Amino acid sequence: MRARPAVVLAVVLALLVAGCAGGGGGGGEGGTVLRFQSLAWQKESVDANKELVAEWNAAHPGIRVEYVQGSWDSVHDQLLTSFEGGEAPDIIHDASDDLADFAYGGYLADLRPLLSGRLRADIPEASWRTTTFGEGVYGVPFLQEPRVIIANRKILESSGVRVPTPARPWTWPEFRQVAKELTATMGEGRYGVAWPLREPVSVSLNLGLSAGGRLFHRGGDGRVEVRFGDGDATVPATVNAQVNTDRSAPRTTLGMGGSDTLPGFFGGMYAMVPLGFSYRQQIVRQAPEGFEWVVLPAPAGDGGLAQGVSPQTLSIAEDSPHKEEAARFIDFLLQPDNMVRLARGDWMLPTGTEALKDPSLRTTEHGWATGAALAASLRPAPAQSVRGYPEWKDKVATPAYQEYYSGAIDAAELEKRLVEDGNLVLARYQR
Amino acid sequence: MSGPRTRGAVRAGQYLALLAYLAFLALPFLWLISTAFKPAPELGSLHPTWIPEDPTVANFRQAFAEQPLLRAAANSLAAALAAAVTAVVVATPMAYVTARRRGRLSAATTGWVVVSQAFPFVLVIIPLFLVLKNLQLINTLTGLVLVYVVWSLPFALWMLTGYVRALPAELEEAAAVDGAGRLRTLLSVTAPLLAPGIVATALFAFITAWNEFFFALVLLKTPEKQTLPVVLTHFLGAEGVADLGPLAAAAFLATLPSLVVFALIQRRITGGMLSGAVKS
Amino acid sequence: MTLLTTARRSGENAGGPAHRPAHRHRPTDHGAWFLVLPALIPILLLSVGPLLYGVVLAFTDAQSGRTRATQWVGTLNFRDLLHDTLFWESFRIGLVWAVGVTVPQFLLALGLALLLDQGLRLRWLARALAIIPWAMPEVVVGIMWRLVYHPDAGILNETLRDLGLGGGRDWLSGLATALPAVVLVGVWAGMPQTTVALLAGLQNTPRELHEAAALDGAGAWRRFRTVTWPALRPVALAITALNFIWNINAFALVYVLTGGGPGGRTRLPMLFAYEEAFRYGQFGYAAAMGCVLVAVISVLLAVHLASRLRGDE
Repeated sequence: MRARPAVVLAVVLALLVAGCAGGGGGGGEGGTVLRFQSLAWQKESVDANKELVAEWNAAHPGIRVEYVQGSWDSVHDQLLTSFEGGEAPDIIHDASDDLADFAYGGYLADLRPLLSGRLRADIPEASWRTTTFGEGVYGVPFLQEPRVIIANRKILESSGVRVPTPARPWTWPEFRQVAKELTATMGEGRYGVAWPLREPVSVSLNLGLSAGGRLFHRGGDGRVEVRFGDGDATVPATVNAQVNTDRSAPRTTLGMGGSDTLPGFFGGMYAMVPLGFSYRQQIVRQAPEGFEWVVLPAPAGDGGLAQGVSPQTLSIAEDSPHKEEAARFIDFLLQPDNMVRLARGDWMLPTGTEALKDPSLRTTEHGWATGAALAASLRPAPAQSVRGYPEWKDKVATPAYQEYYSGAIDAAELEKRLVEDGNLVLARYQR
Repeated sequence: MSGPRTRGAVRAGQYLALLAYLAFLALPFLWLISTAFKPAPELGSLHPTWIPEDPTVANFRQAFAEQPLLRAAANSLAAALAAAVTAVVVATPMAYVTARRRGRLSAATTGWVVVSQAFPFVLVIIPLFLVLKNLQLINTLTGLVLVYVVWSLPFALWMLTGYVRALPAELEEAAAVDGAGRLRTLLSVTAPLLAPGIVATALFAFITAWNEFFFALVLLKTPEKQTLPVVLTHFLGAEGVADLGPLAAAAFLATLPSLVVFALIQRRITGGMLSGAVKS
Repeated sequence: MTLLTTARRSGENAGGPAHRPAHRHRPTDHGAWFLVLPALIPILLLSVGPLLYGVVLAFTDAQSGRTRATQWVGTLNFRDLLHDTLFWESFRIGLVWAVGVTVPQFLLALGLALLLDQGLRLRWLARALAIIPWAMPEVVVGIMWRLVYHPDAGILNETLRDLGLGGGRDWLSGLATALPAVVLVGVWAGMPQTTVALLAGLQNTPRELHEAAALDGAGAWRRFRTVTWPALRPVALAITALNFIWNINAFALVYVLTGGGPGGRTRLPMLFAYEEAFRYGQFGYAAAMGCVLVAVISVLLAVHLASRLRGDE
């Protein structure tokens, strides 16, 4: 007799669910509806995005934009499945290093015929190169962040080392020396610098540009090859020496993400941490009272302050029936004033030259000025347009760099793996 | 042979062992609760404490303000309940047949269980997406429930088959000899005996569905329909950065319903109905 | 295919609706088709179908994107796989992980289930608390344990420091500690499920047999072997087999904890196939990996299942 209530319950629930499912669909109002999938996640940034969408909807009753919340954590899988199933959002927020496969796969619209002259002129050519794959442009780069060194002001100033500025940055050897000196003043179990290298490849390659590193070389026939020159060796060798020779950097942080290093940074265990510019938001939120910190430029080498970035992007799905309208919305979102709001919401730099002039992004408070001064040195991250780069990164480069930094293998072995094993992987994509 | 003293010692040992188990299982959860009540600066402390020094509910307020947790919870609840009940209703008869009738059906079921669970789900998801799209079930909770039912079926079948096998077939045969109808035998003899197993299986299906992330992520498009695990990831940023306080607060709340459901029905799983039934 | 023919045959046998007066022979001879159908349809549509599609993919060069047409490549993917040392390394890690998680998981869960089956006080509370790990979404479990393992701010190192056992271990990023650390989380996360299954199985143990054995003066171990274990065996075999399959296919937990690092030390086969399909868009090659996984798991489980089926006779 016990079975009967269960059956009744099942029927009721089935009806309930059917009701829920049926109720959601079919809003038959006229006009165009665009789905905008945003990856904004910090409160200020979500708010900025939602406000902008509301303002657009108020001004354009015929073209309604629907805000859809995505997440950085799963965006690639979710987009890939949506594309394969033909259900992608119209306007897609992502990052330039995630776009290559989607662009080459034909899922993203070529934006060249769609974008306004104003937007094309506002964003510098170097930024456009981050979203150019083959002939087409498949995304609008709009926010970017340089990697900076965030330092504990008290430790830095009391040690008497020269404090670098964007005009007079440290060189890499100088940086190594400074880390050594800081470590000496700090005492047992404390370190001059902590490298969070959970993602060692992008850090190594992006900072490597400053020393003239390139790693990926495109031949005359368009084929890409990995070569490991002196410029490529500078940054990895510095980190390796700090961890394994000077002991001015701890081994424990090598597997950490950036935010994992913050407790140690706040606790005075580390004097400096190389982090993305936007980590300032977390530091402001979490730092204990009275903790003082400064933003310093990353060290410079033969390539000056140059470093690679993969900006956040806005793209349009090739399948979208309303590409014109979607492009108009992007244009609205990236008006200089609006770009400033988005940039402040994410604690990043806007790519647009007009927006970058905004005084609120040039104040010395929270190190905005230092970051803004670096904007001109930002280049497309090496290799992000190389087909097969993700596989090279996961299977070859990440383990190789991790083992090199922790001292398990030497520079010769690192080079051998990156180049020999690496070219084997790349060759498969270039048959 | 067991005097009162050894008995007492055994009991004490049992309590001690139980305590050790609970510490192992519950401490990370206590850590989650502790995190949920810590203000942001304390989360970055080098010397973390179990008890927040400056407890706050700000994380909860922020979690509710930023993400539609209640709506997501309602969606999760509807999907998980429907999936659990459907899975059990559908699986029990098949499990019964599989258990009582040895042969190819049983072998085929076993084989399918192995294959379906051993095949990486990431490869199934795209064809599955296309099937559901043809059925117009993308972006509906019904579609999601269907997937959950099918996904928990192998496990439900295995468990239920095991439970049915453990029941002596003689009981049913005796009832049949007594002249009871087949359905009546099933309902009045087999079903009550099977109840603990059925409830346990439903619980599995419920919690599996409640926690499931990947299918929900891929199948549900509009924010109004998203389930809790998907909404939880909205507290995560790029490069594994997380808004820990609100995330912990939301995760703590998301964990509660499963705990409550279990606390409520665990008596039924373990109610000792069996001994009574066997006697009568 | 066997599934279909079997089902059809049982359908022919069924003859009529289930609620017919029973005859002398086995009560299940009737209505089998009717009873199996509700489960069979969704299975065929949403599980067998997509699965077969996946198997077919393994013999093609399917990639993400629609700029290239998919072609048949025969067994090329499998031949490539044979020489893919990284895949086999990941396979080895997967086996270590699966055994390392499944065995302790079962033993610990059995102990806990036996304890919870005793008439201890507050056992309702203990039973509710015991399922905590299971009640948390995997993403959250991963993040939680990352906090616990955190080298600087983690409660584990803090506790070790307080106990004077040294500290500063980098559990998840150390080349030697990463896999054991991840295995521990796996055991933790999977224990409640196993415990509940075993606990429900224990309820099926005829209590008077227990009492009779106790009266005969049988010790705890003998009672367990002669009374408890035989009743528990089908459930125990089922749950360990499924645990093994699940563990070798585990994904979300390790993905959140280590992402397969450091240096690929925790790159389970599922992570590998996932990267192949969703990062590099090589659907065909990833599907081939799936087929190999299925084949090897089937062989591994054959022994296990054979013993189970033999037990049925």
